Amino acid sequence: MSSEVKFNFVKLWSWLAALFIFPLIWVGGLVTTHDAGMAVPDWPGTYGYNLFLYPFWTWIYGPFDLLIEHGHRLLGSWVGLLVIFLCIAAWRQEPRRWYRWACVGLLGAVIAQGLLGGFRVVLDERTIAMIHGCGGPMVFAYATFVALASSSDWKTATARIVPRGLWSLSWILLASTVTQLALGAQLRHALPSTSPVGFMSMVHLHLTFAGVVTIAILAVALMVRRSPYAQEPGLRAPANALLALLVLQLLLGVGTWMANYALPWSETTGALARYVIAAKGYWESMLVTAHQATGSLLIASSTWLICRVGRRQFSLVENPDPLNNPQSTGALPRSISAV
Amino acid sequence: MLGVLLVGCGPSELDYRPNFLHAASLTRESADRNPTEIAEQAAALTESWFGSLDQPRWPSGQAEAVRMESVLRCAGPVGRLADKVERGVFRKHCVTCHGLSGDGLGPVSMLLEPYPRDFRRGTFKFKSSPVGKKPIREDLHRTLVEGIPGTAMPSFRALEESEEFANDVEDLVEYVQFLAIRGEVERRAIRLNLQEGIPLETSEPRMQEILSDVVGKWNSAPSEALSVPEPPAWFTTAPSDEESHLEWIQKGKLHFESELTACVKCHGKTGSGDGASQDYDEWTKDWTILAGIDPKHPKEWKEMKPYGALRPVLAKPRNFHWGAFHGGKSPKEIFKRIVLGIEGTPMPPVARAENSNPGLTDQELWELVYYVMHLEDRS
Repeated sequence: MSSEVKFNFVKLWSWLAALFIFPLIWVGGLVTTHDAGMAVPDWPGTYGYNLFLYPFWTWIYGPFDLLIEHGHRLLGSWVGLLVIFLCIAAWRQEPRRWYRWACVGLLGAVIAQGLLGGFRVVLDERTIAMIHGCGGPMVFAYATFVALASSSDWKTATARIVPRGLWSLSWILLASTVTQLALGAQLRHALPSTSPVGFMSMVHLHLTFAGVVTIAILAVALMVRRSPYAQEPGLRAPANALLALLVLQLLLGVGTWMANYALPWSETTGALARYVIAAKGYWESMLVTAHQATGSLLIASSTWLICRVGRRQFSLVENPDPLNNPQSTGALPRSISAV
Repeated sequence: MLGVLLVGCGPSELDYRPNFLHAASLTRESADRNPTEIAEQAAALTESWFGSLDQPRWPSGQAEAVRMESVLRCAGPVGRLADKVERGVFRKHCVTCHGLSGDGLGPVSMLLEPYPRDFRRGTFKFKSSPVGKKPIREDLHRTLVEGIPGTAMPSFRALEESEEFANDVEDLVEYVQFLAIRGEVERRAIRLNLQEGIPLETSEPRMQEILSDVVGKWNSAPSEALSVPEPPAWFTTAPSDEESHLEWIQKGKLHFESELTACVKCHGKTGSGDGASQDYDEWTKDWTILAGIDPKHPKEWKEMKPYGALRPVLAKPRNFHWGAFHGGKSPKEIFKRIVLGIEGTPMPPVARAENSNPGLTDQELWELVYYVMHLEDRS
């Protein structure tokens, strides 16, 4: 009997890819905050240099907008490399055919994001910047799914809960967070020619969806604590994460508005009346960028919730859980053994 | 696939937004005039002198009132070219509120209070020159560096203090002046046509006069700036005893409540900004009261919405208890606000006793400044 245990490279690369996409989103957010999208006027090179050969010290000690834009490109390349490693590992180690293709899909998504970023520069088009900004969190959510599908929870979870709406609610939550992201991107990337009425409508929609997301997360938090989901501790983690992120995100949202435009009712207290916004101030920039980055974390956490709920419920819909079914023969149903 | 989807994308050509609102306010009574057409004609005429949004130029034959090198750096889209010099500084920092044309109609404008400034009247609030005169560079520079507390106008101090963006504020000052000059010439072209009946196609000689007049006002601004006297010794040193402090406060209070200054009318007896008098600023009156529109009646003012009008909002007198002075909180800046007033707002200048004219002496003015500054302590 062989005692050799193969190191799970699929798990390693999939988690690393997901983990590095988050700082990539953060730096990309900084690029938007500092309007640094055109800090490097060429692509795929940097000021005529090959991306990887641009002089290190010129980059580090160069203007801040160049620092973050070139850094964003380098980080993007690194993520691309990680996903290539993931694909190779998946093809060599992963028995699940769909998963192998999911990794290839992730590589395609990362490449498409890179191309969008490139076209934004080459065409100097802010609308593409907005699409690129929305695409980042989508890729992050996808990478989160790929990482979660390599986890032991995915592989060992058994379908044993009776559906009571959490599955649908999880999808509603994901759709709401994605819509909220798209609306936020409209505000972040507002074109100089955007009409005041158009912008105001977008702000109102953004606030409305903040309400929808809040209600959905509160409902999720409540549902996982009640029957039949209360017996599944695996559902608590994503629900709690969503709740914590929601609180953080609401605070960051108010902070973002204050850091950009002050409050319309600033004359109510001395502190607000005296507050002066620091344009491109360190904390202001971080606050605004954090709001956008936390939005992507909410999308990723919604994906996490879907994975957890799906693995505990979806199979049951099609095939009764053999492990808890006294009439079962003990053989795993196809839907479980295949995934 | 992605390439196919992105065909047709590219930097879109942007233009200055014609001053539709001004044309509409002047043609309100005459149904036969088309404000949109007149505003567009005036914008085209202005473009022939000042160039386009991405390629501005200074009108030939006019004494240069702004540094065009700075204007060119601020105009156009944001980004760096092969020379690594950053361009589009105005779009990067200002356009979201002030709009591409400096008309105060940036995307976010409708949600702000107060509304972002429309530069095209050539009127600025916080300056060192008397009402009717243009601000000096230092005034605009101060607003950019200090920001305006409690409003969306940020402080750009961080730019000035960083080596790489050190010129941004100076360049923005030049560009704001450029937009103000351009905007005022455009307004006067509209008025020339609508009030004097001169067709814009044949207005060249009169427009040259207007151009020289507007440019001349900006160039002469430094010579008209107020030289603020140094505060008296008692003002700058801490009061030696409570009695002297209360004495100065008492004197300042008398001036504050006097009919000569009429501070109480707007700022209220306690300086909380709750006086009986309420009024709109000149930017609002320009297209409402002057055009025969009652700003209190939505039915009336809403007819101007398609031309870019925002809901009229009453000018808010400062609540001194917050200690938040929009034009700067240094004694000298407050002295200026009192002596010069705040142009474009209901805040009038307080008469200064000079050459046997009735008014407050400098000593009395400093007492008033002292009182206003110390109202904050009582909150």
